This record gives sequence, C-alpha cells and structure tokens, in this order.
Amino acid sequence: MMAAEAVLEAATVRLRPLARRDVPLLLRWTNDPGVRHWLHRSESPPATLELAQARVEEMRRDPRTLAWCIEAGGRPIGDVRLLEIDTTHGRAELGIAIGEKDSWDRGYGTDAIRRVLRFAFQELGLRRVWLITDADNARGIRCYQKCGFVQEGFLRGHRLRYGRPLDMLAMGVLREEWEAQPSR
Amino acid sequence: MISESILQGKRVRLRPVAEPDLPLFVRWLNDHEVRYWLSMADGPGLTLESEREWFDEMRADPATVAWCIETEDGLPIGNLGLHAIDEAHGRATLGIFIGEKAYWGRGYGTEAIRQVLSYGFREMDLRRIALGTDEDNARGIRCYEKCGFVREGLLRAHRLRGGEPVNAVAMAVLREEWERGALGDHDGR
Repeated sequence: MMAAEAVLEAATVRLRPLARRDVPLLLRWTNDPGVRHWLHRSESPPATLELAQARVEEMRRDPRTLAWCIEAGGRPIGDVRLLEIDTTHGRAELGIAIGEKDSWDRGYGTDAIRRVLRFAFQELGLRRVWLITDADNARGIRCYQKCGFVQEGFLRGHRLRYGRPLDMLAMGVLREEWEAQPSR
Repeated sequence: MISESILQGKRVRLRPVAEPDLPLFVRWLNDHEVRYWLSMADGPGLTLESEREWFDEMRADPATVAWCIETEDGLPIGNLGLHAIDEAHGRATLGIFIGEKAYWGRGYGTEAIRQVLSYGFREMDLRRIALGTDEDNARGIRCYEKCGFVREGLLRAHRLRGGEPVNAVAMAVLREEWERGALGDHDGR
C-alpha cells in the first residue's frame, strides 16, 4: 500500500487502513451471494481464506492501491479502495463494497466515498476519480451521483454475471466539480 | 506473457516480441511524435533498462500478450498488445502504436488490429475487446472504427498530455459484432 496509511474520519463512518485481521471478514462478505452479485467475483468460485489473504497482501504491496476498512459505530461493515492510482495523470479508480447487508441504504457508503474523494483530491492531489459499476446497480449509481460522479460511458457486456453479459457504466468526477459541491 | 502465435496477414505479420526488439522500442517510444498519443507522453523518457523491466514484467504477466508488427519485408514497424486479459469475463484491452512514422496512414495498423481481433475472438475466446484513445486522435479513431470498434463513452480529462487534461474516447467491439462482419470484409478472417 502507499505510504499514506491514513485513518479518515467522516460523519458516520471511520476509514482505517485494511489490515490482515480483516481477512476473515472480507472472505465472509465476498462469499455472501447477495454481495457477490454486484462484484466481478460472481464468476469465480467462492474464495478461500488463503485467496482472501493473498488479495489483501497484494493490495498492501501495490503502490497504486489504497484500501480502507469502513467502520460504523466501531463495527467493520465494508471496504473502500483507490485503485490504479496514477500520479503522472492524476487519477485513480474507486471501488467500494458494503459487506454487511444490514448496513445497506443507510448512507454509510456515500459518507465513505465523500471522505475518500476529499482525501484523493486534497491529500493525493488527484484531478479525477472514476469507477465502473453494473448498469442495473440503481442503488450504487444513485449513491455515486450523490457523491458527484456523472455517467461518462456505457460499456456493453463489460462483464459477466452468472455467465451472461452485463453492461456497465463508467462514471467520473473531476476535482473542480467536487470543489464546487456544497455537500462535499 | 509472450505470445507463441505468429499472426500472418496479407501485408503484416505479427510475431512475438523478443528481447532484441527492445532498442527499437526505446527509439520509437522516445520519438515525440510517436509518444504524443500514448499515455507515457507525460512520463519520463525510456531507457533500455526501463524497457527491459517492461519486457520482464510483460513476460511474467499472464494478463498481457504483445506482438511486434512487421511489414511484408520483415521490417518491424510497431507493437500491438492485449492487456488486462480477463478470462473469467472474456475481455481484454487493446493497445497499438506504429513506431516507424513512414508507415503511418498506410493501413498497417488496421490490418494488424484485424489480425488480433480474429485471434482474440476465435483463439482466446474473448467476448469483448476494448480500448481507450485520445479524443482528438482522429486517425486512430478512424482506424478503430474501420476495425469495428464503436464509441461507448467519453472519459473526461482522463489523462494529461503536456500537462493538459485530455478526454479519452472509450471504444469496444463485441464478438458477435465482429462475427457478423458488419464491416464488410475482414482481412485475415
């Protein structure tokens, strides 16, 4: 992981660097069919502890990745990542998953993303953060829009879900747009 | 990884990238007119050492294959690769450059891409091949469209070029579109 091992405090959540001790939780979340449905991993066999461990290690080693565990009221509920952090071009990709389903629809994801955007634009000096999401992920898209992302592309059949092609949206937010947001 | 496959077209031949190609790649990629359209334009200049590092990484990476593009006379003129190859989702990203500028605008890139689309869809069993290119790269976009790519989006200020934000066009071609041959004839099909 990159040098900045920052703990980020937000209104309703706290983001702390993802750690080895989170592996069993991540494993449970990503193997939950209701969560996997929205992930590229829907096409892979359920992960094992070893696989999940290796993924976390890889993220920690990768200088282009920053990953946080999202905690609400002291309880870990999901994770949020900046991927492919490119300092030459000033951009990164965002990924988020709320693994505890009883924490869905409570604004935790929105809060976490807003905090990560602030970190990306202000601390890392990025110009652009973007993401891809399933075109039928209405809840996710609404959340991303609330955070300032706008749709930039429609990627036809970009991934498979249970073997069938699924369209995805590309969305992006630029620093100057984010700066102009009253609710950032 | 190193492709084992040689793709033979009418006028171009794609053969696996090899270590002796590296000095040539360094020359091409340090040429400002060639670099201009590549995302490395805003990075540091290339050296034989940095290119060797790229080569070793590429060779070890199962999600990347790269070919050297040669003319009918066996002259290397450019490089073409598939990146981010995702078998589970049946997709990859295409990247190409013609490093010998005398061969720009002569259809070599188009023919090379058609070869690789055929290989990607038929041999690798991909469903989708995507790419990103600068919005103002008219020659490139025309070539990609000829090969069947369609525009899927505009990624705003996706990269910097000479320090200035540039929009990227996202394009892709799906296997069924390619099979339909909506484009008339595919060389090498």
